Amino acid sequence: MEPLRIGIVGAGAIAQRNAKEAAASGTAKIAGVFDLNHKVARDMARALSAPFFPSYESLLASPEVEAVLLSVPHYLHKSMTIEAASHGKHVLVEKPMANTLDEAREMIACCEKNGVQLTVNYSFRYLPKIQKARQLIQDGAVGDITGIQIIAHQFKDRGYWSGARSNSPDDWRASKEKCGGGFLIMNVCHVIDYVYFITGLKGTRVYSEYATLGSPAEVEDIISVSARLSNGGIASISASSIMRGTDQAEERIWGTKGTIILNGEGLSCYSTRPIDGKRPGKVFHYTKFPNVSWTAEWVKKFVASVRQGTRPDISSLEGWDNLAFISAAYQSMEKGMPLEVAPFPASPLLKNETMVK
Amino acid sequence: MPDWLIKILLTVYTKIPPALRPTLKELFVKSTLRVESLAKRRQIIQGKRVEFLDFEIAHLLPYELLGPGPDEVLVEAECSLISPGTERAVLCGLPGARRGFPYIPGYSTAGKVIKKGKNVKGIEIGDRVAGRIKHASHETALASTLFKVPPGVSAEEASFIELGIIVLQGIRKAAIKPGERVAVVGQGLIGQLANRLARLLTPASLVAVAPSRNRERLAVLSGGVDQYLSLKENQDCVHAVKADVVIEAVGTPQANVTAMQCAREGGRVVLLGSSRGLTRDWDVWNVAQERNLTIIGAHISDMPERDASPQRWTYAQEGKLFLELVETKRLNVADLITWRAKPEECNAVYEVLAEGGRDHVGITFNWGA
Repeated sequence: MEPLRIGIVGAGAIAQRNAKEAAASGTAKIAGVFDLNHKVARDMARALSAPFFPSYESLLASPEVEAVLLSVPHYLHKSMTIEAASHGKHVLVEKPMANTLDEAREMIACCEKNGVQLTVNYSFRYLPKIQKARQLIQDGAVGDITGIQIIAHQFKDRGYWSGARSNSPDDWRASKEKCGGGFLIMNVCHVIDYVYFITGLKGTRVYSEYATLGSPAEVEDIISVSARLSNGGIASISASSIMRGTDQAEERIWGTKGTIILNGEGLSCYSTRPIDGKRPGKVFHYTKFPNVSWTAEWVKKFVASVRQGTRPDISSLEGWDNLAFISAAYQSMEKGMPLEVAPFPASPLLKNETMVK
Repeated sequence: MPDWLIKILLTVYTKIPPALRPTLKELFVKSTLRVESLAKRRQIIQGKRVEFLDFEIAHLLPYELLGPGPDEVLVEAECSLISPGTERAVLCGLPGARRGFPYIPGYSTAGKVIKKGKNVKGIEIGDRVAGRIKHASHETALASTLFKVPPGVSAEEASFIELGIIVLQGIRKAAIKPGERVAVVGQGLIGQLANRLARLLTPASLVAVAPSRNRERLAVLSGGVDQYLSLKENQDCVHAVKADVVIEAVGTPQANVTAMQCAREGGRVVLLGSSRGLTRDWDVWNVAQERNLTIIGAHISDMPERDASPQRWTYAQEGKLFLELVETKRLNVADLITWRAKPEECNAVYEVLAEGGRDHVGITFNWGA
């Protein structure tokens, strides 16, 4: 398969990582690097043996660039995606897809109109632990899912909010307008995506309470969400970036026949059924998983979809679903009532799932 | 084992970390079995059996047992029949059936004798037998409790032995006379067997009463009922039944009341299903006393070992009769089997049973497959 020539846009820490992993995937060639911080971008281009572009326009104008990988602040996702699509470039965009559903809709429509592919970096789903959990659930380990609980707590220091760890310090993460929200849209979005992926379910109705109680930011640093799932089950999220002294990250998925718990130690599974050759009625711990570059997998799958003209493994519609849940969660507190999660609207621009190369 | 030794062992056991207990327990059981094997000079046999590991969890597991004692035979199972009511009650922890886990289910099996104890007479190696044996590939049993399977009876048919005896003793207590109107409440396996055995006694009419029509197809087969009533369609249909004899074949308080409502004034109600649960929902005066009903308890535990009477035959007599009825084709049971499962499928089988059994009636494990 011919490698996809990708232009790297943004040269922050995540961008650097994404670029390295994309190159290491064996399916992509770094065709250029651009960042407003020219010095950082030049250094990055040199390290990747790729050309440096002084502007986004010049990168998009290069015939050598087939796709762009956007690792830029959230508020730039829409405009930069639309610009790239208009130049016939495929787009790999960091999560979340956008800050609002209107932005996401425009991005999807523009990519469809220009016949380019769009994917969102929800690549954690390629982690072997996540794949295993999905497999166990498909094999019937938990039966019909009745409950999901997501627990995500950590501590973000004051410097985080002003970009102290970034090579181009900026306080966009603290801004509601620029970031779209706080801990939920910035971090927990990954968990929501892979829980959707593992279970095949979506949130259909949500209510949240959130606040900013310990951070120099406009956006929330603590949030609690209750949700109804598409199969009638119930989910809850408890998340904050102000819990001192302990990192909590655990997902619990349970159903009529068992329970799966994912956390830093791996995956635990209890089933009343003999799944995976295991004795039923016991908790089994899966702690050893192969080291896999989830970003490289994401790029690899995307390149395959571009070359084969098929829908990306992580499509823009999945990016939409994720954002729709998060948007509804935020709006529910603002309106003081539970809200239905918006399904993607029927659009003449989205006729089928197979896109033209 | 003496009580003082059990106390010491229990004290030691509680000091062991819980995580290590299952392994140590297994080691202990294996060791004692080996000591017993040496002491009694009985070989250790490897087998597989169905175990209930916890509520609603069944699994096929390897196990070891001692070869037959002097009065026992070792049976290699061909087919075992699930007793749906009892096994479901234990599996789900229903009232009156709460047991500790692991629990080894099953009590109606047919197979072949592959070893016999030195005192056993009348049964030879290679004979086909049936009796009260668990869902296991191999099991020892007292030879005197087993029935020899007649040549014309298949292992599947013979595996109905215990259920057949249960129903026969109930029907006997009902003392149905030719020309009486009979109703059977509940159309699970016990109910369907009751239909067919009652039919042999030439009632004027035979009515099945069940919550839904799910099991109607089997109930109306040849040798079955004349009429099938679904309570879901008409809850009040019970009052029109007016049966001389009602066989209650479910065992829930609600079914008990339904059975009494189906009886005519002065009628007889035989409680055949193993009753589980309590109820306040029974207007004794209106349902039973004012209507002068006779309530007859008919649980298998009441069978005499000897000194039979017209209304109470022995276990051995009923078993022999059951096999004769099947052999002479007066009773057909094979068509009541709706699921012939491999023992390896037991987890899925009991999952379905725990959820109510869907439309299944007879479920067998075919051990020879």
